[in-house]
Amino acid sequence: MDQPIIRIQNLRKSFGTLTVIDGLNFDVMKGEKLALIGPSGSGKTTILRILMTLEDISGGRIEVCGEPLYHMQRNGAEVPADEAHLHRMRRHIGMVFQHFNLFPHKSVLQNITLAPMLTKGEARAAADRRARDLLDMVGLADKADYMPSQLSGGQKQRVAIARALALQPQIMLFDEVTSALDPELVEEVLEVMKRLAAETDMTMLLVTHEMGFARDFADRVLFFDKGRIVEQGPPAQLFTAPQEDRTKSFLRKIIAAGQRV
Amino acid sequence: MGDWAGYLTLILMGAWVTVKLTLMGSALALVVAFIAGLGRISRHAWVRWLATAYIEFFRGTSIFVQLFWIYFVLPMTGAELTPMQAGVMALGLNVGAYGAEVVRGAILAVPRDQHEACVAVNLTRFQRMRHVILPQALPLMLPTFGNNAIELLKATSVVSLISLSDMTFQAQVVRSQTGSTLMPFVTILLLYFAMSSALSFGMRRLERRVTRGLDGVR
Repeated sequence: MDQPIIRIQNLRKSFGTLTVIDGLNFDVMKGEKLALIGPSGSGKTTILRILMTLEDISGGRIEVCGEPLYHMQRNGAEVPADEAHLHRMRRHIGMVFQHFNLFPHKSVLQNITLAPMLTKGEARAAADRRARDLLDMVGLADKADYMPSQLSGGQKQRVAIARALALQPQIMLFDEVTSALDPELVEEVLEVMKRLAAETDMTMLLVTHEMGFARDFADRVLFFDKGRIVEQGPPAQLFTAPQEDRTKSFLRKIIAAGQRV
Repeated sequence: MGDWAGYLTLILMGAWVTVKLTLMGSALALVVAFIAGLGRISRHAWVRWLATAYIEFFRGTSIFVQLFWIYFVLPMTGAELTPMQAGVMALGLNVGAYGAEVVRGAILAVPRDQHEACVAVNLTRFQRMRHVILPQALPLMLPTFGNNAIELLKATSVVSLISLSDMTFQAQVVRSQTGSTLMPFVTILLLYFAMSSALSFGMRRLERRVTRGLDGVR
C-alpha cells in the first residue's frame, strides 16, 4: 500500500460556466476502499465519471497506475490523450452504474462475456466458464440464459457487477449502485459488494448515500461539498467525531432522515 | 379473348422488371442509407458535411430529374449506363437519402447509458456500434424502412421515361394497342398492391425476428 494507484492533482471540471470540481487533490492507495459521500451536486459522481473517461477534464492531472490518464507523451512533450491512449488506460478501471446499463439485447451470460471476448480476445469457452463463476459468486448461477428484462433491479445490478469484474480491472468504481433499487433489494447488492471488498485486493471507489454501508465498507471516507473535500478520515472518526461544521450538519440531516450512520 | 393472355404475359414481363428494380434499388438504398446515416454522425466534420450534402441534394430534387441526369447527362462524362443500371441508381440514391435520416435517428435514439456502458467495458468505437448500438437501433429503423421500400416500389414507374419496360410502361403499351384502359390498369393496380403487401409482410416478419428478446424494453 505504498504507491498510490490513483493520483488526482489540482483537478478542475466545469460544465459551461458551472464549476463542479475546483482544484481537487487526493491519492488512492492500491487496495484501498474509499467511500465518497456528500450532498447531491457536490461532484462525487463526476469524479467517478472522469476516472472512467466518460467526461473530459477542464484542468489538472490524473495518474492511474503510474501513468497519466488524460495526457500522453508525444515527441518528448506531454499532450492531451487520444482515443488509443484512453482505450489502453481503461483496462485498469471498471465501473458499475446507478441504472445498471446492461445490454438489453444480450442474455445475462452474453452481457458478461461480450467485452472479455472482444477486448481481450478470450475464447468463448473460457469466457463462458468465468462468466458462470462470476454469476455463481453474485448468486445468479441459474439466470445465465435470462434476458435482462426478466430480472429484478437487484439482480440486474449484480449482473452489472459481474460484467465489470469479468475484465479483471485493478480499480472498480461504484456509482450510487443501490439508489435506483427498491429498498428490499438493496441488501442483496450490498452483500455482494461486502464480499468483494473482503475477498479481493481491488481498489474500490464508492459513491453512496448509504452511510451505514459506507461505514462498514470503507477504509477511508471523503466528505465532499461544492467540488471540494471538506473532511476525510477513517469511517469511525468521520461518522462519530466529525470536525467540520459542514460535515456535522450533513450527518445530522442524514440521521434525521432515518438512516443509521 | 385469346389476345388477353399475350397482353397479360407482356404485363407480367414488366412486373418482373419492377420486382428487379425494387429489390436492387432497395439493396442499394440500404447500403447508401447506412453509409450516409453513419456519415452524418461521424466525428469528422468533412464526412458529416459530405453526408449532409448528399442527403439534402437527393431529398431536395425530384427523382424524375435525378433519373434524367443519371441516364442522359452522366454519359456525357463517359459513364455509360444501361437503363436498368440508371434506374437502380436513381431509385437507390433517392430513397437512400431518406433512409440515411432513419439510420441516424435510430442510432441517436439508443440511450446514452448504452454508450457509457460500452466505454466502461472498454469496447472500441467500432465494437460499440457493431455489437451494442446498431443491434438496438435496427428494430427502430425497420418500420420506416418498410415504408421507404414501398415508396421505392411505387417510384419504379418513373423508369418508363427512360424506355425501361417496367410494369407501368407495359400497361401503356397494352393500352395503346388494345384501346382498353380498364384491363391493363386494373391488372397493374392489383400487381402493385400484391407486391407492396408482400413487402409489408416481409418487413413485419423481420421486425418480429430482430425484436425477439427485447420485449419489455420498448
